[in-house]
Amino acid sequence: MLKRIYHIALRECGIMWKNPIYGFCMVIFPIVIIFFFTSLMSAGVPTDLPCGVVDADNTTTTRAMIRKLDAFQTTKVVSHYQNVNEARNAIQKGDIYAFLYIPEGTTSKLMSGDQPKISFYYSNVTLVAGGNLYKDLKTISTLGSAAVGIKKLLAIGKTNQEISDFLQPIAIDLHQTGNPWSNYNVYLSTTMIPGLLMLFIFLITPYSIGTELKFKRSREWMAMADNNPWLAIAGKILPQTIVFLTIFYGFEFYIYYILGFPHPGGIIPILLIGLLAVLSCQGFGIFIFGLMPSLRMSMSVCSLWSVVSFSVCGATYPAFAMNPFIEGLAFLFPLRHYYMIYQMGILNGFPLTDCWFYIMTLCIFAMLPLFTVKNIKKAMLLYVYIP
Amino acid sequence: MNKEGLLYKISEGIQDMCYIWSKEIRSTIKDEGVLIFLILVPLAYPLLYSWIYNNEVVRDVPTAIVDLSHTQTSREFIREFDAGPETKAAYYCNSLDEAKDLIRKQVVHGILYFPSDFEDNLYRGEQSKVSVYTDMSLMLTYKAIYGQAQAIASHINTKIQISKSTTAFTNRDEEITTKPLDFDEVPIFNSTGGYGNAILPGVLILILQQTLLLGIGLSAGTARENNRYQELIPISKHYNGIFRIVFGKSMCYLMIYVVMSAYITLCVPRFFHFTTLVQPWPLFSLMLPFLLAVIFFGMALSCLVRYRENVMLLVVFTSVPLLFMTGISWPLSNMPGYWKSIAMIFPSTWGVRGFLSISSMGGSIEDIQDEIMILWFQAVLYFFITCAVYRYQINHTRKHANEKIMNVRAKAKEAMNRIDS
Repeated sequence: MLKRIYHIALRECGIMWKNPIYGFCMVIFPIVIIFFFTSLMSAGVPTDLPCGVVDADNTTTTRAMIRKLDAFQTTKVVSHYQNVNEARNAIQKGDIYAFLYIPEGTTSKLMSGDQPKISFYYSNVTLVAGGNLYKDLKTISTLGSAAVGIKKLLAIGKTNQEISDFLQPIAIDLHQTGNPWSNYNVYLSTTMIPGLLMLFIFLITPYSIGTELKFKRSREWMAMADNNPWLAIAGKILPQTIVFLTIFYGFEFYIYYILGFPHPGGIIPILLIGLLAVLSCQGFGIFIFGLMPSLRMSMSVCSLWSVVSFSVCGATYPAFAMNPFIEGLAFLFPLRHYYMIYQMGILNGFPLTDCWFYIMTLCIFAMLPLFTVKNIKKAMLLYVYIP
Repeated sequence: MNKEGLLYKISEGIQDMCYIWSKEIRSTIKDEGVLIFLILVPLAYPLLYSWIYNNEVVRDVPTAIVDLSHTQTSREFIREFDAGPETKAAYYCNSLDEAKDLIRKQVVHGILYFPSDFEDNLYRGEQSKVSVYTDMSLMLTYKAIYGQAQAIASHINTKIQISKSTTAFTNRDEEITTKPLDFDEVPIFNSTGGYGNAILPGVLILILQQTLLLGIGLSAGTARENNRYQELIPISKHYNGIFRIVFGKSMCYLMIYVVMSAYITLCVPRFFHFTTLVQPWPLFSLMLPFLLAVIFFGMALSCLVRYRENVMLLVVFTSVPLLFMTGISWPLSNMPGYWKSIAMIFPSTWGVRGFLSISSMGGSIEDIQDEIMILWFQAVLYFFITCAVYRYQINHTRKHANEKIMNVRAKAKEAMNRIDS
């Protein structure tokens, strides 16, 4: 029996070697993807986001304020505008993401204790940029008030400690557990890249089974397995499993041990999650092909499924905030379970028993072919490919 | 009419173009793969995505409270935290470990911790700390909890400052003492900070491009597989010129996608009440070059396709990287230069940026001039590449056909000779 599997696996290796699409989809594209995401967000946190200024007052006080804003790590003051309209146009054009408006007379009103009002405008169309600039602009505006307070308190002879105690009686002490830098590379690459690797597994599995029919090799393939579909599938999938596992573990090694992404969970969940991801996607691919043994239908379903999983997995927009129906639907997508195991087991380092449910579900995905393998046999022996 | 005349050629060309056009439409409806990607997916997918993101913002993020202080101020803080729109005081715990267990069970996404000397410090006139612990597996919940806690802290701070201040006699005095420089925060576009409003315009435009690429590729693959000699272009008197083939096919796709893009850019956002500030004329001037650029881009690529299923393997995975390349998620200003330049090749980059400007920010044509110009440039460039590729295919087909005819002739001649002798 093992010998048969071995022979089928050898034959599969030959097919994979001859058809360049396998090489591209199993090795080259995944590597490009891994490189793409990790290099795109290699800065981790966006810095020097372009911000504009409308300074109608133009005094030393306001200029000092603008210099201070420019000195923030996240913000870069790229240009000055004559009026709010011009600055708004610049946002619409995509030149800046936010701007600070200081109306005329701000400094003199500040001096005379007349409570002047400045405004900052930010665009949330790019959420990351808008959010970060908002933080800086709010800080600078609050600091403007604080500066006045500090001057006054210094004048009546308060010490620095007293001043800061007065200005901020309650301070927030933030602990961002797991990702203390709020690094976007850690946040996004750890789900987007596995999602894409899983997409390739999703597509290649039905492709490799379906092309047997298409190129009229299905009977030969079945004959090699003595018409036992289990042996046939096992032999066929085995070389792919090995290649995908290598890529997946290579990816995990790269991000956790070379790029140093946080992984307090240690090596065991890392190895387990890779294995589960590959097997569950292959299981799902075989299941779908068995369900509709037509190359194009099964591949269409798999591709639609895998593209939706990026949104529905809840890594960017949380699942609990979605419509309850969608939240329930999310359980049908392996990437959702992958993400849950990742964040509980690897990012937060909780014991794996906490995510037993998600591990179990991925195992069920891997076992789905049980239901449809018989159908694949029928298809391989009876069906004829119609282009 | 003179058969060599220009007029005759043009009228023949137009007739052939219409023939190819109608044939392409027929194959779109008959072929289930093409039908799925050109018609069903663009109709259904935007609805699904809109539904996923329709709630826009996170509300009532469950948070665990560890209040070791048990004082009036800490309770006031907690009450306000619970009353805030974004957060909810879901559990009260006696220790940090207990609260951590709740994060393990995924029932809360953050912890608020008040040390036992929280209020004592305040009365002593020293700074007091509230610790916020956030689960960093979700940025939106982290922002909700942290933002809410900060807002409440500053609100309570103001009250404390007023009570401490000795110079404030009137309400106005209090205002000026606590906030000598007032400020307004104006979220000028996407004012709710909604996730759907931010991400969906990009997804919609990308759906247009990706389904079009898939559809064109699939239909080219089918044409090749149905052909006896695996050629893209059949031998027929209608397929005699490059322009008639290219125009005929692109007309079919354009016709379908004019309707689809009207549906996706105008109807879908309205179904789900997403922000849409789009004006008819800017939309038209952006979408026309965008569709043409995508169609010719797809047709040029489709010549590479040997088997129809390979298209899916080549196109589907690009969706996510292309979305990131538009700068919708990771800001453009922080994108490495090489990815920025690679992104320039794809119509989606410019389509999405332009659409964000006119739809989410109510931009006018002047605001998206660059995008429109580049899309027209791409459309023309890809058109010529498509023509070049098709020309190569036609010559290839003719050469093969000639070879085959010559073969048959040679065989016939041989046979004749044999009969003669």
